[in-house]
Amino acid sequence: MENIYLPDLAVVDRIVDETHDIKTFTLSFASRAVQKNFRFKPGQFVEASIFGAGEAPFGFASNPNHPQQFDITVRAIGAVTQAMHALKPGGYMGIRGPLGNCFPLDEVKGQDILFIAGGIGLPPLKSLIDPMLDCRGDFGRFIILYGARTPGDRVYKPLLQEWSTRADITFLQTVDTPDPEWSGPVGVVTTLFEKIDLDVARTVAFTCGPPVMIRFVIQDLLARGFAEDRIISTLERYMKCGVGKCGHCAIGHKYICVDGPVFSWRQIKRLPER
Amino acid sequence: MQVGTPVVVSKQLFLDHLSRCMKKTQVIGPTKLADGSVTFMPLRSPRRLTFDYVNDLDPLKRFFTPPREDLFAWDLTDKKPRLTAPLPDKPRILFGIRSCDVQGLAHMDGFFRGSFYDSLYWARRNNTLIISLACNRPNESCFCLCCNGGPWLENGFDLQLTDLGEEFLADIGSPAGQAFLQESGLEAARARTRHEHRRHELMEACDAQMQPTAYLAKACIQITNDRVREELWEEMGAECFSCGGCTHVCPCCTCFDVVDCPQNTGQGLRFRCWDSCQYAGFTREASGHNPRGRAKERVKRRFYHKLSYPYIQQDGHPGCVGCGRCITVCEANGLLDITAVVKRLRRDGQ
Repeated sequence: MENIYLPDLAVVDRIVDETHDIKTFTLSFASRAVQKNFRFKPGQFVEASIFGAGEAPFGFASNPNHPQQFDITVRAIGAVTQAMHALKPGGYMGIRGPLGNCFPLDEVKGQDILFIAGGIGLPPLKSLIDPMLDCRGDFGRFIILYGARTPGDRVYKPLLQEWSTRADITFLQTVDTPDPEWSGPVGVVTTLFEKIDLDVARTVAFTCGPPVMIRFVIQDLLARGFAEDRIISTLERYMKCGVGKCGHCAIGHKYICVDGPVFSWRQIKRLPER
Repeated sequence: MQVGTPVVVSKQLFLDHLSRCMKKTQVIGPTKLADGSVTFMPLRSPRRLTFDYVNDLDPLKRFFTPPREDLFAWDLTDKKPRLTAPLPDKPRILFGIRSCDVQGLAHMDGFFRGSFYDSLYWARRNNTLIISLACNRPNESCFCLCCNGGPWLENGFDLQLTDLGEEFLADIGSPAGQAFLQESGLEAARARTRHEHRRHELMEACDAQMQPTAYLAKACIQITNDRVREELWEEMGAECFSCGGCTHVCPCCTCFDVVDCPQNTGQGLRFRCWDSCQYAGFTREASGHNPRGRAKERVKRRFYHKLSYPYIQQDGHPGCVGCGRCITVCEANGLLDITAVVKRLRRDGQ
């Protein structure tokens, strides 16, 4: 019987510096058989290990339609993430996954789509944005709002540039604190709502970012008349085991790692703690 | 001799057979230590096996989910790194386990089967023959009566023994229990009405001696509907030492931490170890954010997990078997064990 705590070895194929403390790692499995059968869905996550430092959860940050490799975007903040940042291409990580539930994709076809991301909340949403753009015609309006502390704290800068030039995407970004080169909007991400037209009844909103941002975004969406099940977010807790056993990520009787990380506001609001 | 039909065997002959088993199989049983205390340990001979015990304060879950358990070893010294999982334990017999702990195992079984099958737990579980011993007398902290945790059970064991003096009344709970009896070559007579009658007398006498009570139903409703004053949780949070003792001794508590232990350059072990939702660091994230940074939130969490309907529905019963260990270990002067808390909630009654 399979040991659910035993990772598979993955090789770091590429490392991209996103900001002064965020890197994106492109990984593939060392074993061909594992790689061949590997599939994931938007919003799912992996438990990634650096042997000796430990294991931590990261949402997929790449397109599930291309599972030959996958990305995780990591901010160096604790022991595990700092050890990851010290890796060089060719280095090894242990990977368990895919884990957790996923964003609805087929279910929201035909709808207008609104993404609201803050800082390092963009990577998990990218695993949904990418496959949606593969079938862009299946959706109505496509709006991405992105907020970051400073222009330098934005991840995926070349991709943001690409989105801003696409006619079939409304892409707006804002920063809390501008630098001399910044000519865009300044303010928290919710200020961008003023700049867009929404057909609330036919829009599904996906939001991911720091807890404080999510709270204000949801308040704002509700005030604009969004139905509770048309607001989709992710809950973040330190998921140690990722398989619903260790107990660290439990909220009420839900285990974020198994029942989540994706929840609608209707589900979140029923939890005894948020 | 068949599953579900109680039999009567000679106590001496049964123990003789158990002693013979010690030569080829690991037998874990109640052992008297030099200082007179009793704990469960592997027994090489029947010499230190004792019946002079009610229970081990150290919960028997430790034989299935040990305080520290290796998950795998890594070796990165070769060109190609290697990860090695531990080998499953050998078959063994757990003799003398009390009903509350058997019930605790039933709770853990459901949990470790769950959405992901925990092969480490189940390797030990499937390798262990459970021979339980019903309780003829309780401790001053026992309240299994209130939690369907004993003093004797209908199922959950391979064999359940009731001490009738010269004989054991043996309930056969599984084919493995049946096989154990058959292989023993013991004469096992079908239990007569008088044997079962005697068991009922013993169990009723045991019930009657139980002091603490835990009327859980009202507390379950209050907690589920969030009808407990925040001030009461505040009060309990202020009384709690956050020592985690209650969770460590609880037969239903399963939370663990995962730790990497480097050994030599490029080699090491990843293990899991018991953790507690009562520790301040349990939910702390790398960013410093801590959703349950205050003792009040943690105490509330513990009892939500034990007593809320969503959990009861999922597990089939509250997360308590009435073993009374949390009464014994709680540092907060009898204020925060589960019997005290349900009483306080009830008195507070909203």
